Amino acid sequence: MSEVEIDPVLVSILGRALKAITDEMSLTMEKTTRSPILCEAKDFVTGLYDADGRMLEQTENLPILSFSLSPVCQHIASKFRGNIHPGDVFFHNDVFTLGNQNNDVAAFKPIFHEDLLVAWAACKGHQADIGGNVRGGYNPNATEVWQEALRIPAVKVFERGVLRRDVWDLIFANIRLPIVEQDMLAEIGACTVGERRLLGLISKYGRAHFQAHTDALFDATQRMMEAEIRSIPDGTYEGEATVYFDGKTPGSTYQIRVRINVRDERIAFDYTDTDPQTDGFVNGTFTSSASATILTFLQMVNPDIPHNEGMLRPIEIKIPGGTLLNAAYPAATTFGNHLCPPNADAIIRALAPVIPERVTAGWNQLLCSLSTGHNPHRDATYVDICFMGLKGGSGATGDCDGYDHIGMIDASGGILDQDYEMFEQMTPHLLLEHELLTDSAGPGRMRGGLGVRTRYLVGSDDTQLVTFGDGDFEPAFGLFGGGDGTLNYIELRYPDGRIHRPTSKDLITGVPAGTEYVQEAGGGGGYGPPAERSAAKVVCEVKDGIISLAAAREAYGVAIDPETLELLEAETAELRTGGAS
Amino acid sequence: MTETETYRVGVDVGGTFTDLALWSPSGGLRTFKTLSTPDDPSLAVSDGLALMARAEGVSPETLAARIGFVVHGTTVTTNAVLTRSGATCGLLTTAGVRDALEMRRGVREAQYDNRYQNVVPLVPRRRRLPVAGRLDFRGEEVTALDPAEVAAAAEQLAADGVEAVAVCFMNAFANPAHEQAAAELVRAALPDAYVSVSSTVLPTIRFYDRVSTVALDAYVGPVLQTYLRRLTERLADVGFGGVLLIMQSNGGVCGPDLTARRPAATLLSGPAAGPRAAATYAALAKSEDCVVMDMGGTSFDASLVRGGAAAMNHTGAIDRLRIALPMLDITTVGAGGGSVGWLDTGGLLRMGPASAGASPGPACYGRGGERPTCTDADLVLGYLDPGFFAGGKLRLEPDAARAAIRAHIAEPLGLTLEEAAAGMYRVINTNMAHGVREVTVKRGLDPREFPLVVAGGAGGVHACMIADELEMPTLVVPPTASVLCATGMLLCDLQHDFVRTFVSPLERIDLEALRAVVSELTETGARLLDDEGARHIEHRLALDLRYLQQYHEVTVSIGAATLAAGDFEAMAEAFHAEHDRLYGYSLRDEGTPLELINVRVRSLGRATRLELPRPESGGADSRAALKGQRRAYVPEQDAFAEVPVYDGHALLAGNRIDGPALIERADTTLFVSARYRAEVDAHGSVVLRRRTDEVEA
Repeated sequence: MSEVEIDPVLVSILGRALKAITDEMSLTMEKTTRSPILCEAKDFVTGLYDADGRMLEQTENLPILSFSLSPVCQHIASKFRGNIHPGDVFFHNDVFTLGNQNNDVAAFKPIFHEDLLVAWAACKGHQADIGGNVRGGYNPNATEVWQEALRIPAVKVFERGVLRRDVWDLIFANIRLPIVEQDMLAEIGACTVGERRLLGLISKYGRAHFQAHTDALFDATQRMMEAEIRSIPDGTYEGEATVYFDGKTPGSTYQIRVRINVRDERIAFDYTDTDPQTDGFVNGTFTSSASATILTFLQMVNPDIPHNEGMLRPIEIKIPGGTLLNAAYPAATTFGNHLCPPNADAIIRALAPVIPERVTAGWNQLLCSLSTGHNPHRDATYVDICFMGLKGGSGATGDCDGYDHIGMIDASGGILDQDYEMFEQMTPHLLLEHELLTDSAGPGRMRGGLGVRTRYLVGSDDTQLVTFGDGDFEPAFGLFGGGDGTLNYIELRYPDGRIHRPTSKDLITGVPAGTEYVQEAGGGGGYGPPAERSAAKVVCEVKDGIISLAAAREAYGVAIDPETLELLEAETAELRTGGAS
Repeated sequence: MTETETYRVGVDVGGTFTDLALWSPSGGLRTFKTLSTPDDPSLAVSDGLALMARAEGVSPETLAARIGFVVHGTTVTTNAVLTRSGATCGLLTTAGVRDALEMRRGVREAQYDNRYQNVVPLVPRRRRLPVAGRLDFRGEEVTALDPAEVAAAAEQLAADGVEAVAVCFMNAFANPAHEQAAAELVRAALPDAYVSVSSTVLPTIRFYDRVSTVALDAYVGPVLQTYLRRLTERLADVGFGGVLLIMQSNGGVCGPDLTARRPAATLLSGPAAGPRAAATYAALAKSEDCVVMDMGGTSFDASLVRGGAAAMNHTGAIDRLRIALPMLDITTVGAGGGSVGWLDTGGLLRMGPASAGASPGPACYGRGGERPTCTDADLVLGYLDPGFFAGGKLRLEPDAARAAIRAHIAEPLGLTLEEAAAGMYRVINTNMAHGVREVTVKRGLDPREFPLVVAGGAGGVHACMIADELEMPTLVVPPTASVLCATGMLLCDLQHDFVRTFVSPLERIDLEALRAVVSELTETGARLLDDEGARHIEHRLALDLRYLQQYHEVTVSIGAATLAAGDFEAMAEAFHAEHDRLYGYSLRDEGTPLELINVRVRSLGRATRLELPRPESGGADSRAALKGQRRAYVPEQDAFAEVPVYDGHALLAGNRIDGPALIERADTTLFVSARYRAEVDAHGSVVLRRRTDEVEA
């Protein structure tokens, strides 16, 4: 293979072609899946891997899922060595063999060219149910993996194109909702699309040529990443963030501590000093935590770098077993994906002083709810993750405001709100409000992104709600003089007048029809002193009702006539020189 | 005066040029180009008429009096959106959801780019006013509409000086009562404003789709109405007394009055006629289907024709703003003659999307451009004649092209100048081939089964290699390739599309109610067409179906007889087949139930077919048109060779040319690569066929 002469132009062409294939796989998933978590919110990833499981390309609607596909692919390739055939399909979700979260179930399909294993197509999505004690997952009372989910270590569900009915039935006998079976078929469909298209590409250029040129693509990508890292000053930088409440002990806190070492073109993230794992389900798995690290760092480098093996080579991640971010068997870990926001905070805090022009202020952390029950209008069980409610604001950068209603950093705007009318068709609920939240953004020269307020009327009795998340104790932090965003909360206003605020990891059963669900997702942190923000911008946002008159004065030092909403220049100058904010 | 004695004119107003096509019974088809006048695009229309009158040797008034039809494609609404120069708008919407328009469901298209900004909404928050009335998911009233509250909101908008108001309420697809009542109050308070109502414009489920569509509709409404008024006046001034028809995004045409009532339907008016013309030329080459490519200075558009009709979608966007009306399914790639070649930080060669535009333009224009572009590569590769670019109107400077490519591409990559130029050529061809893939493979179609119809000034140099990349066996380069849309406008039908949400499980459908909806839509279409004087009227029915609990629908055509018979099995079968084609599987055998979401009716008033001109026939021998030889790059051999150059205007029907060869016309150059053979068909199109296929066959 080393005999192949590398054509630099073909390397460019292959990079483009691989991206087109994973995008096409993603489109297949979006259009054919049943669960709104997949087809509306796009909580899935698709990817292609070489014969050794090295990443060729990925489409990452939800990045937190994506950087575990390559390690699992390598695991399957080695576990089934000698027993991998054309037409095979493997399923996997097991967090103790490199899965990231129990509900994120992957399908892998080996790709053969002239009887030789040349690549893998894979697809992984958040399934609406995966067995365990609680419908839809997220059992805050779990202490062991078996209370959370059915474990699927790598299993073969198709052998040489033939369904292994016994294995298949065993899996789906342990999952509550029939749509999961349909949605796993959709994952296989997406892999088939990837297989067909990749084979077309390999046939066109020849196998040896293809492989030599994908190696060259990895090298070129590695050079791009190395150039980015080289522009960060050498040194060791430390950052820390707090995780609040493990779902069991009120008031409990845990620290994530990262030590980042930059030397020449290599960067290493070391989590050795992070606190030990919890007794509950607030625990990370290695791959979900490593995904969090990678996706946070990727936001600090050139966004045009292709996503393949070469991108990862200069990055080293060390997370000792038994810690909060890499819990030991048989810990409960469903919450692990949602340790991404505090992990990101720790990394941002470590690097902000070194590369202030590349970081954001803190992002709003996820606080989410999942409602399930019976929808009398369709006479069916429903599971709905309230995506529209969970999406707060991002942190500002030195030269741009944060993004409004983008949601947690793990998705960075890749998952979408349900459409309101589809929400009312698929659930029994009636939407009362879903609006940008006034004064939620952290003030700053650049303000944070705005959060949202969501209210709906629960539409049927015996509704079950699960909450999971954070951001109800500590808001998104401001940077370099910028202010913090607002806190998250969820509140239930029962028909009898009782008001209940669930904790951030809670299970509430028997919610009656007529209960008002209220949620605020907070804003992102601001960047730079608010007094440096253009007064004209503040006036404009007051006119639009996203900054109140009081906040304009108190946070920004901008005085505005309450009648005309025009700027009072003299008073503003006085407020601002007088050291407002 | 009967139709056959009248002239017809197609006018396509583009960014740089206004293209015109004139058809007359005696003179056949002739095409013209005049410079566009962006400040008042209708000016170029009268300039064009004057140009055509001169060519006819008559006064503009005499010509105008002879014209029976003017079909007009316009980019005024598109430009109003792209440059954010539309109307001052207000939005009246259900309390609690006024920010849906701005939040766009919370998407950030560039996930890893923290400097990527959201789209500035067409209606600012201060003019998005909530009202309390509420319907539930079935359209049943939860909270009554308060007329006093609506009137107060309308007055506030009036005080803010709005020129247009969008009205969009929750669940209005199921019951238009609240919206229509509110719209009446708004019209009373703002008699001069354009009012766009979601249950009229797009009565389908999905709130965000509707609110975004009506906001666009309101935003461009006043702009379009003003423009149409001015255009009508200008045409009347020169004595035009015929019928003016406006090209719609759905590939049909309709009169100015109706157009003014649904302005958002013109957002793709410009390119929408291309597929119609392409379909006609493809049909002459004996294909009902084709892919259309149009490569200009900054962008490459690909679209699709199936069964003689342009492929549509209703999931489109313009400048990241969602528009859910049926419109031409077109994929745009940032690849054109001006696309700049550059190396990324990993040392990989990229082309575009940045473009040198017309100013400074490619390095070879000699107007100060220093970066190497696609046109520079085409020149170095010998495809373009420096003395015959744009018919000789612009002299190209090969030395400038060479210097730019050498400095920015060849030297950093360690390639020779010619290798670098060939690399640029290959990379941009790959980018464009992916555009073609978008409209075929992503829709479950095999591009190898489609001829590729080539349009646009820059298309001819690249078309062969795009087709080769996708193994497309046939290319058709029409004689009017550089003004294809204007030609297409002469061929388009009157057309009205209707859609209505009708949610029901398929097997339990209320057939009477469904038939009632279909006849209501059909009758509306018939009435509109009748008012427009259409003669050959037909209606087509389609259903948006999905598997129960799926979220996305598949549109399936249904025959009138199937509906009349209530043949649900036939409907289901059509759906299973389409789902399988699109997504690689169906659940035909699993007994998964289906549900209906939307009913669609398309009403067509067929245009009279034009007889396209036929060039003289001259047999296979093309030597009479040979005008010389030039050293050019032959991709199949990865080498330069002396390539024969033909005068495209001297070719006769039946002439054959084996690649590699160049065919030059005043407005475009066609490169026939080694793997293809060209033949001029009876209507003057150059048809290229893959030679390997001939050998195999």
